[in-house]
Amino acid sequence: MAWLDDVEEIERRRARALALGGAERVQRQHDAGRLTIRERIDALLDPGSFVEMGALAGEGDGEKFLPAGYVGGLGRIDGRDIVVGGEDFTVRGGSERDGRTKDRMILEIANEFKVPTVLLHDGAGGNIENTLRRGYMQIPTWSNDGLEVDLLATVPVVAGVMGSVAGGPATRAMLSHWSVMPKKSAQLFIAGPPVVKRAIGLDVTKDELGSSEMQVHASGAVDNEGEDEYDCFRQMREFLSYMPRNVWELPPHREPNDRPDRKEEALLSIVPKNRRQPYDMKSLIMMVVDDGIMFEIRPHHGRCLITALARLNGHVVGIMANNPMVNGGALDGPGADKQVHFMELCDQFRIPIVYFVDCPGFLVGPDAERSGALRRGMRAFWTTFSITVPLIQIIVRRCYGVGSVTSSRTDHLKLRIAWPSGEFGGIPIEGGVDAAFRRIIESAPDPVAKRVEIEERIGRLRSPLLAAEAFGVENIIDPRETRPLVIRLLEMAQQKRGYSLGIKSRPGVRP
Amino acid sequence: MELVGIRAETAGSIWKILVTLDDQVAVGDVVAILESMKMEIPIVAPIAGRVTEILVAEGSSVSGNQLVAMLEQVERDVR
Repeated sequence: MAWLDDVEEIERRRARALALGGAERVQRQHDAGRLTIRERIDALLDPGSFVEMGALAGEGDGEKFLPAGYVGGLGRIDGRDIVVGGEDFTVRGGSERDGRTKDRMILEIANEFKVPTVLLHDGAGGNIENTLRRGYMQIPTWSNDGLEVDLLATVPVVAGVMGSVAGGPATRAMLSHWSVMPKKSAQLFIAGPPVVKRAIGLDVTKDELGSSEMQVHASGAVDNEGEDEYDCFRQMREFLSYMPRNVWELPPHREPNDRPDRKEEALLSIVPKNRRQPYDMKSLIMMVVDDGIMFEIRPHHGRCLITALARLNGHVVGIMANNPMVNGGALDGPGADKQVHFMELCDQFRIPIVYFVDCPGFLVGPDAERSGALRRGMRAFWTTFSITVPLIQIIVRRCYGVGSVTSSRTDHLKLRIAWPSGEFGGIPIEGGVDAAFRRIIESAPDPVAKRVEIEERIGRLRSPLLAAEAFGVENIIDPRETRPLVIRLLEMAQQKRGYSLGIKSRPGVRP
Repeated sequence: MELVGIRAETAGSIWKILVTLDDQVAVGDVVAILESMKMEIPIVAPIAGRVTEILVAEGSSVSGNQLVAMLEQVERDVR
């Protein structure tokens, strides 16, 4: 019992740390519709799994003790180790201090043990009071020696935008593989309304500047949106359930309640015979994947492309699918950006990609050109060629132009599977005919009839069965066979993925 | 009562308009059909409401995010 007094003192100090910035500040945090950092960590982790590091750090003695404005440590999600940390807004608004800080320690633990990292951001970063304390101005440097950048190459990094997040924490939230923010009660911006007012003379509210409407829907800076903070934590747990511990491991297999040989009857009629009529691509995906469950990544931005994590016979897969309801599935700038990030995410963590193709090509027109759809689209194309995870493409309907080539790779096994509704070509018939046969059409006695005649003549070549005969497509399948076939291919590729684990080298220069 | 705009998500031409002034629509009702990238893409009501203004004609071309019609919000779904 020699050390009992000291141990009791540790307990007293721990208890003071639990009080955060004091009852009044905690109340203010709750009044803003927000949880405290300790409540957030509790809601995220498996019950009782949090092991705090640095709980006794702070300043002031006895009752005047104020804990450091950051809480972090080790935790578990579904029994798997992670590290977690976040600014405590109730202590000086979660602002940063000089010196070795707890947020850096969290990153160092993640880097040392190579475990997933969850950062729950709340606060505005730098505090001008530090300058007064220091007595001089500093050249801006990244305080953690780029640890955040290193982690992006090795372990899954999740960012939560939980409160008003600006400055340093806002930038760190971007250095993540996936991010989420609640619909109300949180904002993200480079700088808040007072700074905006001083800099450009504009009056804006926090929500106008950085609500989920801005950052999830309009800008795409944050991937997903939660109904509230609890929903964000549920989504974080779900996202991590698809992720391996690090790049030296394969994603976890989970036993499905679904049969690998299930043939979904409705797949036979989901694509309308009328070629101009769109359909619900998300339903299509859910009919193929295990138990009809998928976790959509960035659902509100770049919506011409659907990206989702799902499982096929228990194996984690990345699903990409063009959405015929948006742009008719044509790839635009935001969709291309989304494709690049998603493909890199899957490649990094050895998640095979299944791509349901229904893409008429790049989006055309002045809006598309102005937004750089061509360069951004070719960046997606370039990424397709730079990844090494298996990529299985199912041509559901349209597959035209270079916009569609972003779905396949010619340098690897060229295995293309088409549904009978599949149609493809370098140039679409409509439009292509106008360009190539302009003179013949114009000089005909009835130009309209002539154009229709030529279109019909070429249209007869559209059948994928003709392409299959010429071995221009490797397989045409009954749509109901999609799930069993894709599972067979995935399971064949499963072992190979284990041969090349580790940090991915970064090839070349993106267009 | 709040007025809410219905927008064409992408550039294209208005192929069909399926509502007339003063029509009541429910959330998700198809208000018009946009022809874009050779696909007939439904433009749906984001909220339940009454059509107070139609800002395009059949055959007119629209740019991405252009207003197509205005809705006056009603308290609850009329369906």
